[in-house]
Amino acid sequence: MNLKQSMGRRLKGHGDDAELNLTAVMNIFLILIPFLLLTAVFVRISVLELALPSLDRKPSAAKAQPPKSVVLNVLRIRETGFELKSPETNFSPLPKKNNTFDWERLVEQLKTVKKKYPDSQDIIIAPEGSIKYDTIVSVMDRCRESGFPNISISG
Amino acid sequence: MKIENEATSFKVATGFKRSKRGSFTLRLTSMIDMFTILLVFLLKSYSAEGQIVTVSKDLRLPESTSELAPKVTSVISVTSEWVLLDGRPVEKIENILSTNNLLIEKLHDSLVRLRAITEGIGGISDQMKGFQGQISIQGDKEITFDLLKRIMLTCGQVGYNNMLLTVMQKG
Repeated sequence: MNLKQSMGRRLKGHGDDAELNLTAVMNIFLILIPFLLLTAVFVRISVLELALPSLDRKPSAAKAQPPKSVVLNVLRIRETGFELKSPETNFSPLPKKNNTFDWERLVEQLKTVKKKYPDSQDIIIAPEGSIKYDTIVSVMDRCRESGFPNISISG
Repeated sequence: MKIENEATSFKVATGFKRSKRGSFTLRLTSMIDMFTILLVFLLKSYSAEGQIVTVSKDLRLPESTSELAPKVTSVISVTSEWVLLDGRPVEKIENILSTNNLLIEKLHDSLVRLRAITEGIGGISDQMKGFQGQISIQGDKEITFDLLKRIMLTCGQVGYNNMLLTVMQKG
């Protein structure tokens, strides 16, 4: 009862156009927004890690890890298109379509390999000399997304 | 009295209604809506770390979906004309591509010097990290693999085996 009465009184007191006092909120916004705009980073930079087989460490690393059954997947990037080679599977080469690489079918083929050898993590990318850096980075992305995080590059 | 007159004339001119004389409130609701959306967006894109890596403006990095954070290392920048090590020009790209030699002599020499310096610093105090074999490569997206291969080979020869390819994050 008490609550209802006081509520009723309050509502009556304000009439029908009750308004919030937003001045404090505005003040916070006016300070926060310029601050955040100044510190905002719109271009984010990240990194792709790539390790070469090192010259002096390789023997010790090979001793420490028992040799696993290695599935050797090689992805060639040619001017004309992709060629994926995996043991026991012969994938048809993927020629360029309308002067762009056939990304969808590359991902399809990579996923087929991943299904066949779920444990395999490694892939070797072998681009031709004239392939653009941009293309190589995109290929590395597709490989990583398809489940091959250990990417090596071969000349 | 004069002020009151002005106020009444304003009221007549615009047809603006006031609940009480003397108490004037702005309608801020839509502005608050806008600010709230802005605030959420800015808070989402806020990063406390700041930028470790600075990229020169004529370098267009390739885009990638990678989310690994960059590390503080020495940087090899490859623009469309020059190869730079930590901002100092080392060799012209024409000169590199005109030879059949896969090792880039000048870059090799600079890297050997850099390695000696970092090893020296590492020897002075334990707090310094010293030589870790890491190097960042900031390449323009138009450079060819032929050039990239030579740079990587040169780095590998000196002992910089972990290469971090700097890319722009998509989305």
